[in-house]
Amino acid sequence: MLPLFILVPLFCLILLNVPPKAIVKRPAFWLVAALPLVQVFLTAFHPVAVWDEIRNPFNSYFIFNLSVDALSTVLLLSIGIVVFIAALVGRYTLSGETQRFNFFNLLLVAFLGMNATVMVQDIFALYVFIEVTAVASFILIAMQKDKPALEGAFKYIILSVVATVLMLSSIALIVMAAGDTSFAAVSSAIRAYPASVLVKVAVNLFLCGLFIKAGIVPFHGWLPDAYSAAPSSVSVLLAGIITKVSGVYVLIRMVVTVFGIEQSPQAVLMFVGALSIVAGALAAIGQSDFKRMLAYSSVSQVGYIILGLGCGTPLALAGAVFHLFNHALFKTLLFVNAAAVQEKLGTVDMNKMSGLSVKMPVTGATSVVALLSTAGIPPLSGFWSKLIIAMALWQSGQYAYTIIAVLASVLTLAYFLSMQRRVFFGKLQEGLENLTEARLGLILPAIILAVVTVGVGLAFPIVLDKLILPVQNILK
Amino acid sequence: MSPDLTQVFWPFSAAAILLFVMGTYYVLVTFNLIRALIGVEILIKGATLLIILAGYVTGNTGLTQALVITLIVIEVVIMVVAGGVILCVYRNNKSIDVRELRSLKG
Repeated sequence: MLPLFILVPLFCLILLNVPPKAIVKRPAFWLVAALPLVQVFLTAFHPVAVWDEIRNPFNSYFIFNLSVDALSTVLLLSIGIVVFIAALVGRYTLSGETQRFNFFNLLLVAFLGMNATVMVQDIFALYVFIEVTAVASFILIAMQKDKPALEGAFKYIILSVVATVLMLSSIALIVMAAGDTSFAAVSSAIRAYPASVLVKVAVNLFLCGLFIKAGIVPFHGWLPDAYSAAPSSVSVLLAGIITKVSGVYVLIRMVVTVFGIEQSPQAVLMFVGALSIVAGALAAIGQSDFKRMLAYSSVSQVGYIILGLGCGTPLALAGAVFHLFNHALFKTLLFVNAAAVQEKLGTVDMNKMSGLSVKMPVTGATSVVALLSTAGIPPLSGFWSKLIIAMALWQSGQYAYTIIAVLASVLTLAYFLSMQRRVFFGKLQEGLENLTEARLGLILPAIILAVVTVGVGLAFPIVLDKLILPVQNILK
Repeated sequence: MSPDLTQVFWPFSAAAILLFVMGTYYVLVTFNLIRALIGVEILIKGATLLIILAGYVTGNTGLTQALVITLIVIEVVIMVVAGGVILCVYRNNKSIDVRELRSLKG
């Protein structure tokens, strides 16, 4: 059953490209939108245990093992949601049928790569699928071939290759120590020689590579450029899930399952997490570009996830994964709003807009939901995940980091309220009297995500119980 | 490690480290996009050499051969995409100087 999550998108990709383009161009959207929806349905309503029991005939063709645990389930669910939203946004913002068709194809490649990344059990296969996702996102960023997009894409490529080199060197050292690349072998080898210099260097190199991929503060240079220069539907995908999967998820997986919390530099993780929170928030305050501000906000929110991971207790881990899920929801929502604004105004410069809420009530209202959730205002979903992280930090005696995490929430609120006031509230900018609400294709994803954000916040005991707390079990 | 292995190990490691230093230096000093690409290519070569060395040290050459071939294929894909991006940059700017690529700030 599990290989189907990779093979079905691959098959669809072939299906889209073999027949003459004229036939498949129109149905491409429905195919690309249907696949992630099916995935959301499967992951949300069917327990993981059922999947493993279904015998699959593909096992003989795959030499790497796939497996799904609670962490992968959360990620598969988020991937499904965000890819669906990105497909919708892409359909209504990209111009030209050919460009849309290219977008859907690359979306499928990224979808396939991310699904595989969260399921593989082998560090080299992990690297391969991270790279598949990354290549799809390089092309997606540069798709419109304008100057900023090419600049953003090139920066991303160079830094991504540097991350790759760090990971590959680490894999080479791990193979020297363990003789194999499967998670189980690597994990036992690392636990067998905890004091070995080789192992320490390998672990740290891998973590550095992942810091680049996730855009943690000392290595975040590419992230605002790539997010703000990419087409809006691609920003949704990149900010919502790609960096989460290829950076943050892999970081959690490596630290928790493969390296083991004790062997990882916990102090470093917590420090860069806190640094990201503060530096990202401070940088976001000074931005006048809507998407760039959201990108820095992303850096800041990823900091919370890393801080929770560094703390290392089961509760902190659950909080980190919950925040990962929530962040995928509300950051996608904010980028959908940015896409709607960009679509109507043709710009994302916040100085050129004000009072849009009068003319675009739905976009304005959903943006309020997303920003309150990000800032951690009860009862929205972001509040609970931040609360869990702060509680876990306090319990394990990290008082300084707890205070930083809580105070940085105020900073988050500060830059988002400033954004909201400049863009959506206040008096309508002159010359925008004829502005109308974005079309249904862009409002619909915003409404869906806002409802899910509020729903997760209100029904959080159920979500926590069914989806998030099982994550603690991976911490053996 | 047997004496025979040690004889191979150090030259190989030295070569890999030399490639890393060269690649890093090249990426840092150049202003030319294609040269930057060549620099990162040298870096990946260093990593490839390390993987080959790992196979030799552990005696598991079959595994590392498979890894290296996969790695080469992926590397080619990345380089082709990067080359395409550079080509588009040239068509836009009529130059492949990094200093022209400074429009994104903040």
